Amino acid sequence: MRLTALAILVGATLMATPAMAAWRGYISHPLGFSFSAPGELKVEKGTYRGALAGARDTLVYSFVDDDIEYKVVVIDMSDKANDAATLLGEAEYIFQEDKKVLMDTFGRVDRQFGRKLTIDLPNNAGRATAAFYFINGRIISLQATVLPANGDYDSPETARFVDSIAFFTVRAPDDAIELPAPPK
Amino acid sequence: MRRWMSAALAGAALMMTAMPAQAAWKSYINRQLGFSFMAPGEVKTDVGNFRGAIAGPRQTIVYRSVEDNIEYKVTVMSFLQAQAEGATLLGERQYMFQDRKTVLMDTFSRVGSGKDAVYGRKIVVDLPDNKGRTTGVFYFTKGRLISVEATVLPAKGSFASPDPDRFINSIAFVLSHTEPGAVELETPKLE
Repeated sequence: MRLTALAILVGATLMATPAMAAWRGYISHPLGFSFSAPGELKVEKGTYRGALAGARDTLVYSFVDDDIEYKVVVIDMSDKANDAATLLGEAEYIFQEDKKVLMDTFGRVDRQFGRKLTIDLPNNAGRATAAFYFINGRIISLQATVLPANGDYDSPETARFVDSIAFFTVRAPDDAIELPAPPK
Repeated sequence: MRRWMSAALAGAALMMTAMPAQAAWKSYINRQLGFSFMAPGEVKTDVGNFRGAIAGPRQTIVYRSVEDNIEYKVTVMSFLQAQAEGATLLGERQYMFQDRKTVLMDTFSRVGSGKDAVYGRKIVVDLPDNKGRTTGVFYFTKGRLISVEATVLPAKGSFASPDPDRFINSIAFVLSHTEPGAVELETPKLE
């Protein structure tokens, strides 16, 4: 009787909990960073435009799990790397422009200073937390967006993702997966 | 009636003499370092020191004036060989500015617009032990880290003065906008 009750309880708990993908470590030796994310990796190309940066292609590593979008966006700025501080400031500014800012604070990882921001997206489209760094001529931005379908805007998963960035390869997990090269 | 007016005028004159003398604001420019600003009082040039974990030990060029118990300071550090590290050097400087202090404001700041824009941060802190309130803006442009800081000292009595904002908002990197007759600042030689 006790065993049956326990089995029912365990079964009910498992049914009530959404399927959560395991978190895995990823690393790019050519780009010089590593991070952790759940779900299936997709490699995409995107675009970015800033008054200073101009129009840029971006490389995006994206994941979706439990109605949270995880993205690592890499923007090559090597031709304007001497304007690193202002290019990074512009990217941070664009991220939060015309949005409700909930957090705007220092990001500090492996001798790199950047910025971490949390914003509410317009029209109740979700809540995004992002970190921005400029290293080796590139803007590296990690962005995690809790979609309305998830609803838990205080989910710790977004912070887990943006705080997983590392620029010292020695900090990457031993079993980190090497990120594929960008699509041509 | 005349007596009453004379008394009022005399009272006003007395009040004027009781108020601290306010120096005129002047424009200053350093073409070599590529910036201009406005400040009251006599601006003096000095050489200082800075040390950051990433920046390392650096000599700084400091332009400073004190007027009506507010200290105005522009500090320049050169990183011509490390311009690509500008974002992190700027972040470190901003972090050190607010470290272990009460932060009252920390927000985006921008000088210029469009392709001439320079992005930085504006931070307001209360200094420890009631030593005053400092408003700072920090920029990294053309290989130089430029800090513009105004500290309202306790002797001022009130932190409500608009002068710190006037000072920090006067920094410009496009020199064609500087008003004619700006005082040319000297650039001291560093070791």
